[in-house]
Amino acid sequence: MDLIQVNNLEKRYSNSGLLALRNLSFTVKKGEFVSIVGPFGCGKTTILNLIGGITDNYKGSIRINNESPSEARRKRKIGYCFQKSNLLPWLNVLDNVLLPQKITNIKEDNEKAIELLKIVGLEDYASMKPYNLSGGMQQLVSIARSLVLDPEILLLDEPLSSIDEINRPKMQLKLLEIHKRTRKTTVMITHSIDEAVFLSDKIVVLTPRPAMVKKIVNITFLQRNEDTIFSKKFINYAKIIKKELKNGQNN
Amino acid sequence: MDKIIKILLTFSIFFLIWYFVVTTLKIPNYILPNPIEVFESLNTNRSVIITNSLITLYEAFLGFFIANSVSVLIALGITFNKKIENTIMPFAIILETIPIIALTPLLVIWFGPGEYSKIATAALICFFPSLVNVLRGVKSLDRDLVAFFKAYSANKIQLTKMLIIPSILPYLFAALKVSSSLAVVGALVGEFIGANKGLGFLIISNYYTLNIPLVFASIITSSLVGIVFYYAIHLVEKRIITWTTTID
Repeated sequence: MDLIQVNNLEKRYSNSGLLALRNLSFTVKKGEFVSIVGPFGCGKTTILNLIGGITDNYKGSIRINNESPSEARRKRKIGYCFQKSNLLPWLNVLDNVLLPQKITNIKEDNEKAIELLKIVGLEDYASMKPYNLSGGMQQLVSIARSLVLDPEILLLDEPLSSIDEINRPKMQLKLLEIHKRTRKTTVMITHSIDEAVFLSDKIVVLTPRPAMVKKIVNITFLQRNEDTIFSKKFINYAKIIKKELKNGQNN
Repeated sequence: MDKIIKILLTFSIFFLIWYFVVTTLKIPNYILPNPIEVFESLNTNRSVIITNSLITLYEAFLGFFIANSVSVLIALGITFNKKIENTIMPFAIILETIPIIALTPLLVIWFGPGEYSKIATAALICFFPSLVNVLRGVKSLDRDLVAFFKAYSANKIQLTKMLIIPSILPYLFAALKVSSSLAVVGALVGEFIGANKGLGFLIISNYYTLNIPLVFASIITSSLVGIVFYYAIHLVEKRIITWTTTID
């Protein structure tokens, strides 16, 4: 069942008049982890903002379980995790996780927040302020926060971009584990091909601006663990994506 | 403790130099009294000085409170409507360029010789520096955090309460610190003209009778009032703003 349907999407930036997206179509099945990769400035974040109902004024259609993105956003069906962790420095970790409940006037559910912190492995840090946590830990809190309203869809905008190379694989495994445990339909933007191949069931490769779909690559692994990245299959997938990105740029 | 000893030592050296200059050069006390005469005057007139200090502090505090409240309201207004800035800022700059001493007689005419004109003087002197600081806070709001709140359909009240006010707190405290000492100056200037109470009145009336030790005692007290006001805000800031850091 397709949970997200994007059809012939076209977006022009209102302030500059630049065409950002053209004739863009793809679908995301329920429970699927889909990554969007493309060159810098091709409009990846714009796609995420459109799906998330944060930006509007577009041509074509986006349906989320047969609803418009803004309807889905109002019904709290979407969880957001931005490039920056966006934690409020004056609140402790627990209160940061509870923030979407506060904003949407839902009774704060401490147990649920603690449960989510357990999933991301940070339950012992609940009373700490964000500045006591590393960048990676802050991003995990941000992921826990994006799940607190129990959304159907999770939108991740380069969630690991600020994590160093040494800690990235650990964080990728963590993301994989979170996805396995929550089975949330996830759309992630990333610049890292390896990250996309490792985490995704499907990768949407975009052309440079105006972004169009260059290729959709389905990814299947029997199992994913820290050795997956050394497998032949993984390397082949990465090669295909790189080739498609390169072709897109040459065209 | 080390810091307190250093401060005490600096002041002791300052008073010693002052004492030796006055006694060696035999400067008459109607020109420059020595520190012992000043402290004697402080001790003899302590009840008068304390009563008048409290009046000055009260006027300064109210002026300070009004100026900072108005600044915060204007800054919040500007957050949601940029046009307010273009309307208000030219007036604020004009107000800032007029010397407060030139406005004080007019304030006495408009608000009367009582405490209101002094409160108005204190408020006017605090207003611009406070507005500039708070505006800086509003303008440095994190766009990504605003986007986060909008993603969850936060309304303006939630945005103000949960994001804008806590975000501008470090800037607001900077404004409060700057205006705390300015407010005392404003109240004193106000009391120089058409007043019969307050430290400013004490300074000006004793200046006419050449009771210079009491003038000095009043000046030192007004400085102490400013310092106490400043450090009271500093202490509150340290308790509330725990998420910012300094190089030391």
